[in-house]
Amino acid sequence: MSGIGPMYPTEKPDHPYVQLSMSGHLLGKYSSRFCAGCGYGMIGHIFTRVFEDEKLDPKLFPVVIGIGCYSQLLLLIHHASQKFLALHGRAPAMATGIKMANPKLKPIVFSGDGDCLGIGGNHFIHICRRNVDCVILVFNNSIYGMTGGQGAPTTLFGAHSTTTPYKMFENRSDSMKLALAAGASYVARTTVAHPRTFMKYFRKALKHKGTSVIEVITPCVTYFGRKNLDSLGAENLGIKGEKMDDTGKMIDWIRRNCIRINQSKLMSENELFNKYVIGEFRFEPDKPEYSEEYAKIIKLAMEEK
Amino acid sequence: MMGNVAMAEGALAAGLDFFGGYPITPSTEAIEHLAKRLPEVGGCCMQMEDEIASINAVIGASVVGAKSMTATSGPGLSLMTETISMAANLEIPFVFCDVQRIGPGSAGPVTDPHHNDIGLIRFSGHGEFQVIALAPMNCQELFDLTITAFNFAETYRCPVYILSDAYLGHLHEAVYIPPKEEIIKGIVTRELPTDFSKKFSYFDEISGKYIIPKPPIMGTDYSPIMFLHQPHNYEGITSPKSLEFMEMLIEKIKSNMDKISITKEYKLEDAEIIIISYGLPVRTSYRAVDIARKEGIKVGLLRIVTIWPFPDEKVKGIVKNAKVVIVPELNYTGYIAEQVERVTNLETPIIKIPKVGIFHHPDDILKVIREVSK
Repeated sequence: MSGIGPMYPTEKPDHPYVQLSMSGHLLGKYSSRFCAGCGYGMIGHIFTRVFEDEKLDPKLFPVVIGIGCYSQLLLLIHHASQKFLALHGRAPAMATGIKMANPKLKPIVFSGDGDCLGIGGNHFIHICRRNVDCVILVFNNSIYGMTGGQGAPTTLFGAHSTTTPYKMFENRSDSMKLALAAGASYVARTTVAHPRTFMKYFRKALKHKGTSVIEVITPCVTYFGRKNLDSLGAENLGIKGEKMDDTGKMIDWIRRNCIRINQSKLMSENELFNKYVIGEFRFEPDKPEYSEEYAKIIKLAMEEK
Repeated sequence: MMGNVAMAEGALAAGLDFFGGYPITPSTEAIEHLAKRLPEVGGCCMQMEDEIASINAVIGASVVGAKSMTATSGPGLSLMTETISMAANLEIPFVFCDVQRIGPGSAGPVTDPHHNDIGLIRFSGHGEFQVIALAPMNCQELFDLTITAFNFAETYRCPVYILSDAYLGHLHEAVYIPPKEEIIKGIVTRELPTDFSKKFSYFDEISGKYIIPKPPIMGTDYSPIMFLHQPHNYEGITSPKSLEFMEMLIEKIKSNMDKISITKEYKLEDAEIIIISYGLPVRTSYRAVDIARKEGIKVGLLRIVTIWPFPDEKVKGIVKNAKVVIVPELNYTGYIAEQVERVTNLETPIIKIPKVGIFHHPDDILKVIREVSK
């Protein structure tokens, strides 16, 4: 059923948001560099849509982008937003510098699972610890997509990748648990299969003062889906499963593999193995924010001088 | 005033807004001093989680218009080179104080000087770019040259290094700080340009020289839509003309050598033996020249303050008539001696006086001078 894909009328009306994307702004039509079935197009679209609907001032919301497939989002997202392509894993550190040098700005960090939990794990922990006012979007596709499908810190147990050809045997890292332990004040996880929830969380994060970490589970059909069976995460059911070689199967798998946070509280550790818990994990609007606290230090230093 | 503190005060005088650092012997006093002093003038001093984070925060701050710098030692510099390459290719200005110390690792005699980063800073990173490096020899110069370094960074939009070392950083000397009004006169500020129409032109057709636009500031109208860490044009879109871009990155500095290059001559008029030196060994060399002159030996000293870009023409002109060139350096390789060899085409004999972890004594240099003059 899911293999058919959505059907469009032959003559499509212009999408109201197409002109806002970078390619739409320059060429008048929508184009992207992503593989068929990739979730990043949707993420870029949701970002553009929220950016436009909320009438965000592009000068106040610089976008700092890490390295991964999603780096191509800078050619896709809202044309007016100011974008900085940072180094691999260093986007949170750069966002800290931007925020502290000009506290009026609120950086939005695009980051992936390899970027944020692998090479830049340290910077991710410390931006959460400081509670610097910014939005960190962690795109989790369980694989290193841009380099061709290597195992990531988030690759599920038993999954296949080019560097784990037999099976993945390492433990998985969980950005939510990491962010909660480090002290981020807004922590939530959603998927591209729940776009309206993502929009809701993103809007909430933009209004929140403090570090907001939103993890988005996104499908990588080319390097993850084609190599893995959709019985992943349901090992205890003992079913054979089939290859997730198109978008529908992958989105279906993501939906099936997600457990809502309320439901997860009733489940054992064993039942949650290889599953994604989605929902809002923490929301603390009153937690002191770093740049505001530093402004108090400046005031103190000036008085003592 | 301690050397590291003099450097920090120089940075404050130049209008430092953001300092990101990580404690590392022997540069720690800089971050300690700035943590106290920067909030007093409304700036921000952050102790980041590691060196990589500190340089990235510095670049982030510079992108939004803050004058920013960091201070570290050799091991920190090694970690930072990736980001330095990116910043140089994006033409983001920042100042880097490298308090050089002995050894590659973390343990050992870390408070001994060793000019071992001279080659690393010039050839660091994985992009092609030209850096500016200034080598002070006392605390007063640490103060003055830090101000100069900030002016160079703002004008030429490239990484500017201050090459201090463990002895110089921990040296206590009297420093004259001029009145505020006097300092402000000579400072290049980061204001927005009024004429936006000229922002795309890097090449002035009339004079045939590269002109360097003011650094863009994120969060204002004067900013490209995208910053990419690869050759780009002003809109931030990747330029296919990579060769032209590399030429521009290097020629923008080389064509301004007359303004960037600082050298000092001492008793060179009739000198047959020439000492070429930079940084700490200059202090010893001055003394050695004075004693040798009393003995009737015709010795002169060329002091290089801006060691990168290397003053090729200047050195070539001075070395032309020399019988022999002596290069005392605080390293075994002789990075600057190699440059002198390159400039002179190996026609003039060059004697290196290497020392590691310990200061040159004037006698070390005098001994060589006496032998050569026989």
